Amino acid sequence: MHIRANPLYRRIRIGWTALCVWWRYKRLTWSDRLRRREPDADALHRVHQRNADHIFHTAVTLRGMLVKMCQVIGTRSDVFPREFVDTLAKCQDRLPPRDFDTIRRVVEEDFGRPIHEVFTEFDREAVAAASLAQVHKARLASGEEVAVKVQYPDIEQIMHIDLQASRHIAVIYNRFDKSPLDFIPLLDELQKHLRMELDFRREVESADRLREFFADEPSVKIPRVFAELSTRRVITMEFVEGARVNDPDALKDAGVNLDGYMARLMRIFNRMILAYGFFHADPHPGNILVNANEHGRPVFTLIDFGLAKQLPDGFGMGLFELMFSMMTFNESAMLRAFRELGFETQTGNEETLLHIARRMIARSDTGAFQGEFTEDMTDEMFDAIREDPVVSVPTDFVLVARAFALLSGIGHALGQSANALDALGPNPS
Amino acid sequence: MAETAVESDQLVFSFDELMTEDAYEEPLITGGVRCHGGYIGGKYVSPRGAVRRRAIANWHRRLAADGLPVVVVPDKYVPPSYPNYPQAKFLLTEGVVDPLTRALTIISIVEGFGARIREVQLPDFDREIKESIDGTSLAHLGSGLFEAHARDEAGHRDQGGHKQMWEAARDVGLDKPDIPNDVLLRLMTGGSRGERKRAFPELSERMEGMITMMANVLIIETFADNTFTWAKQLLGDPEVSADAERAAHIVDCIARDEVPHVDYLTVALSELRGHTLCSPDGTFAIPGSEVIDTIFRGQLRGMATQRPRENRERLRTEIRQAIADESRATRIARTFEDLDAGWEFPHADDEELDILLSPA
Repeated sequence: MHIRANPLYRRIRIGWTALCVWWRYKRLTWSDRLRRREPDADALHRVHQRNADHIFHTAVTLRGMLVKMCQVIGTRSDVFPREFVDTLAKCQDRLPPRDFDTIRRVVEEDFGRPIHEVFTEFDREAVAAASLAQVHKARLASGEEVAVKVQYPDIEQIMHIDLQASRHIAVIYNRFDKSPLDFIPLLDELQKHLRMELDFRREVESADRLREFFADEPSVKIPRVFAELSTRRVITMEFVEGARVNDPDALKDAGVNLDGYMARLMRIFNRMILAYGFFHADPHPGNILVNANEHGRPVFTLIDFGLAKQLPDGFGMGLFELMFSMMTFNESAMLRAFRELGFETQTGNEETLLHIARRMIARSDTGAFQGEFTEDMTDEMFDAIREDPVVSVPTDFVLVARAFALLSGIGHALGQSANALDALGPNPS
Repeated sequence: MAETAVESDQLVFSFDELMTEDAYEEPLITGGVRCHGGYIGGKYVSPRGAVRRRAIANWHRRLAADGLPVVVVPDKYVPPSYPNYPQAKFLLTEGVVDPLTRALTIISIVEGFGARIREVQLPDFDREIKESIDGTSLAHLGSGLFEAHARDEAGHRDQGGHKQMWEAARDVGLDKPDIPNDVLLRLMTGGSRGERKRAFPELSERMEGMITMMANVLIIETFADNTFTWAKQLLGDPEVSADAERAAHIVDCIARDEVPHVDYLTVALSELRGHTLCSPDGTFAIPGSEVIDTIFRGQLRGMATQRPRENRERLRTEIRQAIADESRATRIARTFEDLDAGWEFPHADDEELDILLSPA
């Protein structure tokens, strides 16, 4: 697949998409105002959906930064309407791959020798393709099968063009719209994030950290990385196969015993989030593979550490206290925990935070929080936050809540609960 | 204190009755947090006790009148606190605070997890117990006793429970120490991780699960007696405590609150011993005494042997980790070991444990 890197073409295409999105909202607002009627919620939902579809289409066509931006929007339920989050979160790892020659060029440039001297075999077809890179199966001289993740050669330039174009549009939008939504901080965050993600050595470091952390935990596997065959644009790692984490039939075929399955998976994420303060922040089902050990117990293989995240000191304890206070309906303790986690209100009125907590608890499966952040609960929380823009939510919390919601989704697919408090208990069976 | 009217032979109580509070004259506020219970005539009175205390006493009396023995954990099986008071005091005087802060924080969290007792899934008593359980504490587990226990441990709404009280005792006694970052990690990597085998597969999972959990909690609560004594000594020692009187008082309040927990669990398990347990389809029946005694003995042996061993090993590592200077660490570790009085479980693996106390 060919990606158009022409700066003018990309700027026009991005600008046109932004203009269409803006126009659809303005047309609806003006139309309501002209007819002197209250804003129509259904019509607004329709516009949200059309705009989200338009952005998605542009992103998949242009790829580059736009796909990454969609992925970020897909994680920011606290800022964007649900239609955007649901639609743009689909920008995951299912993009058409780039042609083999492009990939080969990167490998040969980075290793300074022909690809067949680095790998004895290298599949021409990609196993997976995403916004920044694609993965190929290969074989080393030792006979070992490996997965090679190769960054697209022009991706840095494309990112630069797209970011510049987006900034220009955001500045124009801020100047002409009377009540602008400020996109500049989002672009700042994206730029910072992309700079880190484009350096694959950081991803290797993240994998190494987590492998070391889980060295004593046989139920977790972090694929081995071949440091001598990894560069800023290429990662070579052990090739791992396994059942999809939320596919009951595949798990059954793999001989995985599902008793206590989710508790085991939650325990792994609890250890990262609550105890270690460094975690794999993107546990969507494509990033967790499962095999059975000799007793039929699941062994979870985590892959793709591009979104591994360091949490601030004390975050785990703060989150634990928040869950605990929600479980016991202790509102003063909830407030303390919210503050510890970095929640703020512009007005200083903390009733807003309690209101959010109450709405979340009311949306839990039983009407009482028992330790599981379900998708419904996190959706409700983000709805409440969007409706009350005086609340500022720490990005870390958003990522953790999203991770727990993804895990809850995995649990639901298997008819099990993703209960973080249960998995924290001192003596799980 | 003023007693709420409870007949001496009353054996059936409503949920609301079991939650009834005494008429406190003053609340318990500690560490800036309003906690449960309160003061009457200057004395601390435990929460939700106005009826619950008398109810448990009545069930206990009936058990004795029926001539049924009660399950107990004799003192000889209760492992001493580790570290003991002299060891803990020595660490504090040497400025090694982290291991004790960690221990007290873990106690507070584990106490908080006591709230999960309300989520225990009860078996179908009508089908799975041959005789009627009307008028027993068993019949009240799901309609007040577990809930009251859960609230006592974890707090409820804006009243703190034992979790918050232990935190307050720690902060008052050790002057708001920094909480080690690895507390939750220690919690998750501690304890037994083995598969739990069913001892009586003919019984429903709920029945066996409930009995196992109750036995487990009763043993923990009984063992906690030593922890209370230890904490009162240590946090109440003006040489090492920032506010000895206050800290010891908070621990004392917690200790008083735990008494009804030990009492109702003892009565309920003892009642079950006197009944016949059945499989859900009614094809299998077994004396409750056989089930309770097997499960209780197994739990007791594990908790009195394996856990103290793990605690010792862990604490030794923690002391080493808490002291950067190698020679100082060695010196402190040596003195620390010298202060250990040691303890051995008094029975060999194949010996049966005494767990019954016959009615007087």
